[in-house]
Amino acid sequence: MALSLPGNATWEDFRRYWDLVYVLSARHLKVRYRGSFLGIYWSVLNPLVMTGLYAAIFGNIFATYYDNSLLNYMLAAFTGLTVINLYSTATIQSVNIVVWGSPLLNKIRLPVSVFPVSMVMANMFQFIAGVVPVLAIVTLFTSKNPLNVLLLVFPILSMFLLCVGVAFLVSALYVFFRDLPNFYEVIVFVLGLSTPIFYPPTIVPPNLRQFLVFNPLYPILESLRDIAISGTLPAPYPIVHSLLNGVLVLSVGWLCFQRWRSQFMDLL
Amino acid sequence: MELIRLDNVSLLRRTQEEFSYDLKRTFFSMLEGNYRKPVRRLVLDSINLTVNAHEKVGIVGANGSGKSTLLKLMCGILEPTKGKVRVQGSIAPLLELEAGFDKDISVYDNIILYGVLLGFSRAEMKQRAREILEFAEIEEFKLLPVKGLSSGMKARLGFAIATDVQPDILILDEVLSVGDEHFKMKCKKRIDSFWQGNATILVVSHDLDFIRQYCERVIWLDRGKLMFAGEPQETVSKYLKYST
Ligand SMILES: Nc1ncnc2c1ncn2[C@@H]1O[C@H](COP(=O)(O)OP(=O)(O)O)[C@@H](O)[C@H]1O
Ligand SMILES: [Mg+2]
Repeated sequence: MALSLPGNATWEDFRRYWDLVYVLSARHLKVRYRGSFLGIYWSVLNPLVMTGLYAAIFGNIFATYYDNSLLNYMLAAFTGLTVINLYSTATIQSVNIVVWGSPLLNKIRLPVSVFPVSMVMANMFQFIAGVVPVLAIVTLFTSKNPLNVLLLVFPILSMFLLCVGVAFLVSALYVFFRDLPNFYEVIVFVLGLSTPIFYPPTIVPPNLRQFLVFNPLYPILESLRDIAISGTLPAPYPIVHSLLNGVLVLSVGWLCFQRWRSQFMDLL
Repeated sequence: MELIRLDNVSLLRRTQEEFSYDLKRTFFSMLEGNYRKPVRRLVLDSINLTVNAHEKVGIVGANGSGKSTLLKLMCGILEPTKGKVRVQGSIAPLLELEAGFDKDISVYDNIILYGVLLGFSRAEMKQRAREILEFAEIEEFKLLPVKGLSSGMKARLGFAIATDVQPDILILDEVLSVGDEHFKMKCKKRIDSFWQGNATILVVSHDLDFIRQYCERVIWLDRGKLMFAGEPQETVSKYLKYST
């Protein structure tokens, strides 16, 4: 029942929050795949096909930046695509999630934040089940070091923090502005273009390159490539940078969400 | 013992047609300097109310007088603009029964989902799913998507999930009129057992005979104001006199 919990029941609160996230994420995945288990692998098929396309078109030109190795170019493109795909699906699907939950919010007392969190979790699950095994195999092959495989946790965690933070922001804004998707899709497009996914970061003119620092996906991608395809132990800086970015975006998203939440119910 | 207490509770709500849900328009109207703060209406006006344990309280009033809104405040779905709402114990909200279901996933998945939303744990819901299906008499639809159910079946399912475990406070918002006669009897029986038991019940109904017969106290709302609260016969006759 919608308990009015005493102040000290924090463990109970936590269990309830987790159960809510779990059932809602499971619901999102079920609706997406309608019982077809193979659907999970779509998330890995898509970047594989795109990598093939990029290699066919840009492989000749850009391989020189990757020690003349087409394979290295393909690995770089693949890792880039997995990052941008996760970011764009998780956050774009979160845009309308609070509004989607409005029949429930009008009926049952719920912590509103479970809705964006559940949508990001559904996408993280898909990512971890589909893409991460491929990344782990690649990492093991290139580095021959199981430690690198373990370190994959950090870029994944950074992605999670970043996506949840952005999901809080966009899902809250969408309650007020229902034309937000038009704008947000443009933002994601620009973000994707300014992330060195299929081009080497070194071809960006130096006066523009300094702005890459403001792209939160860039340090994540840098650390992922460092771990998965450089063949050595990664430099700590991009990892720390992307984690701090994630925490920052999450905090901002959470604060805005909590601030605007009191106005939600009149508009849902 | 006092379970629910409303102290001087007022609620303002934004009138929805007033608001432009539009980023472009809002932005330009701000640039042109003619952005107006959205207007808010007083939906509930300084309500003072207490409900004691084991009390059966009826709520009457015209459509739009704020009955559902009052119940939503008690459930914690809405927060008062002014005043204080205090509730002790678990509440089973039965508002707009069929609204909470997800039509794309199966009946069984919906039972788990809906139960967890209502506050039960997942493990608990898995154990209780069979009983719920039995009570709602839709066992054979267990694995079908909910969109295949009729609205009566959905209402039955909603009722079965929310009342399967005895809550401290049961809230019934015009739910006694759903379903066919057979299921209505069954709901009545279950509600009767709540009635005889320890539950505290708040019921909104337009069936004034029912209200007179079953409630111990009746609250009459009109346009957000508490007009009268008291003994059923007296309140209902005042309400009827006012309405005609
Ligand atoms: N989501 C909402 N936003 C703004 N006003 C609302 C909303 N829902 C209901 N109202 C207004 O609140 C008033 C009371 O509604 P309600 O509590 O549903 O009445 P009742 O249940 O007594 O028929 C109505 O005037 C209605 O227009
Ligand atoms: Mg109503």
